[in-house]
Amino acid sequence: MTTNAATGAVKRPEKSSSPWAIARRKFLKNKMAMISTVFLILVIILTLLAPFLAPYLSPIPDITKVNISKMSIAPNGDHLLGTDKSGRDVMTRLLYGGRISLLVGASATLIVVVLGTIVGSVAGFFGGAVDSLLMRFTDFVLNFPFLVFVIVLNTILFGIIDGLWVLILVIGLLSWGGVARIVRSKVLAEKENEYVLAAISIGTSPAKVIIKHLLPNVLSTIIVQSTLLFASLIVAETGLSYLGFGVPQETPSWGNMLAFANEPDVLQGKPWIWMPPALIITATILSINFIGEGLKDALNPKSQR
Amino acid sequence: MLKYTLRRVLGMIPMLILVSVVVFFLAKAMPGDSLSGEIDPNNTNPEYIAEMREKLGYNDPVYVQYYRWVTDFMQGDFGKSTRYKMPVADLIAEKLPNTIFLALTSLLITYVLAFAMGMYSGRKPYTVGDNLIAGFNYAGIAIPSFVAGVFAVYFFAFKLNWFPFAGSVDIEIDRGTLEYWMSRIHHVMLPAFVLGMFSTASYTQFLRNDLIENSRKDFVRTALAKGTPMGKIYNVHILRNSIIPLVTFLGFDIAALVGGAIITEKIFTYPGIGLLFLDSVNNRDYPTVMAITMMLSAMVLIGNLIADILYGIVDPRIRLG
Repeated sequence: MTTNAATGAVKRPEKSSSPWAIARRKFLKNKMAMISTVFLILVIILTLLAPFLAPYLSPIPDITKVNISKMSIAPNGDHLLGTDKSGRDVMTRLLYGGRISLLVGASATLIVVVLGTIVGSVAGFFGGAVDSLLMRFTDFVLNFPFLVFVIVLNTILFGIIDGLWVLILVIGLLSWGGVARIVRSKVLAEKENEYVLAAISIGTSPAKVIIKHLLPNVLSTIIVQSTLLFASLIVAETGLSYLGFGVPQETPSWGNMLAFANEPDVLQGKPWIWMPPALIITATILSINFIGEGLKDALNPKSQR
Repeated sequence: MLKYTLRRVLGMIPMLILVSVVVFFLAKAMPGDSLSGEIDPNNTNPEYIAEMREKLGYNDPVYVQYYRWVTDFMQGDFGKSTRYKMPVADLIAEKLPNTIFLALTSLLITYVLAFAMGMYSGRKPYTVGDNLIAGFNYAGIAIPSFVAGVFAVYFFAFKLNWFPFAGSVDIEIDRGTLEYWMSRIHHVMLPAFVLGMFSTASYTQFLRNDLIENSRKDFVRTALAKGTPMGKIYNVHILRNSIIPLVTFLGFDIAALVGGAIITEKIFTYPGIGLLFLDSVNNRDYPTVMAITMMLSAMVLIGNLIADILYGIVDPRIRLG
């Protein structure tokens, strides 16, 4: 940009947009992706503001205290979405729960992306024995039935580490296989280019080649993958919490709130307790998926839109 | 082909051993005696525990214990459930038919629906019907199965009363009668549909795109030029090409059903392996938990193996790789 401005003083050359600028323009034009982005940002802001909003939303802003006198009240003026079986305001819990669900999703995604990128790029760059060893290991991790192992590991680790972080770690450690495979295949293709050979031949260290030369070219794939992962890891958290093996039950999360639907009388007769978390989970997942699809389209130089 | 299959089967064995080692160490890490279930968890007398540990060989070297566990496991001795005081193998044998019935029904529904909708969408792309199906597909792929399941119970079981909301069969009906099987099918329909929703949506989309792509190929033009009616071209020429990749998904389905069954059985309180697994974790019945963990891990491996072999059958190029 700065060099362009300097030469532009003499004679402005035909300025072609950078790939990121093209991607940004394509993404901004994608209606579904933009609506989804706005929705997601709104959800994030509302959940972050939960402690400030809570006193205005309901007369009982406490989200953990049981109120026997206010059990299972249907939505009304005081409680916009009613109260749950323990007399806690559903709207307030929904905001606090969003913090946990999004936090778990985001942290686990971070672990998965970092691990997957390291394993994938090292395997792809070095090739040979390193590659086959790492990929065997990746196959091995991918071959575990995810749900079963998360539940078993959670049972073992529970009480040793704080419950929330057990969940994040376990989900993260079991899910990086897919990313590693994709990054590896991209690095394999990318390292055939001459600039990589040039970098190696002037004695650049492998770490520097990977970080400075290879990863920037794989970045678009990683971004798309991490968006889609974010959605599926939120599903993992909510699903596990729904089963009772996720976030500790006293902590509100969307999955824990939906777990009330396990009781037939709540499911049948008190939809205001379980429907809000069910709907917000669906809407969040859908919007993240739309954003992911939008990014995929925008970052793909071949797509015309 | 035989050589390829053998190579794949042999390649699975180290994986199976590794998985069994992991399961073994997880079982050792679990509190109590989760390998055999012979030690009574309610008896906390240290002398009794020490004596039992010695008797069961828990003071032997780890590899001896592992070897003993694996050989027992292969012979069908999965230890004893601490909760039901019966062999885990019998417990699993009791619940397994329900899960298999659920999985098979789900596969049947998935393939029939995906086939019908995919064929329609592929033959009439960009019409109203195709767009409706595409909408269903998007929902099926994006909505988490447990959310869909909860809504399905609420609307179809409670509001519309079309399906029962729990169990696998009416208790009053005698076993083996026609009515009994009708009741089982009635109970399994809704969970099977929810369990197969994700696959249904992705297969439909796959078949649609494949049909559209194939319909632009040269052999279609040739057939048309020779005067073959379009319907026959679709049913005979194009479908044969498009259906092959679909068959290979079967192996992945087996792996996906393993995880899916746990959640689905929980939502619909359907008494199968998944529900047994969850109940066992909640009741600290660790021998049962570890036996099911090992069994499901093996199923995932076998599913992936089947997928690999089917790929080899369909695409000869893979066999050489």
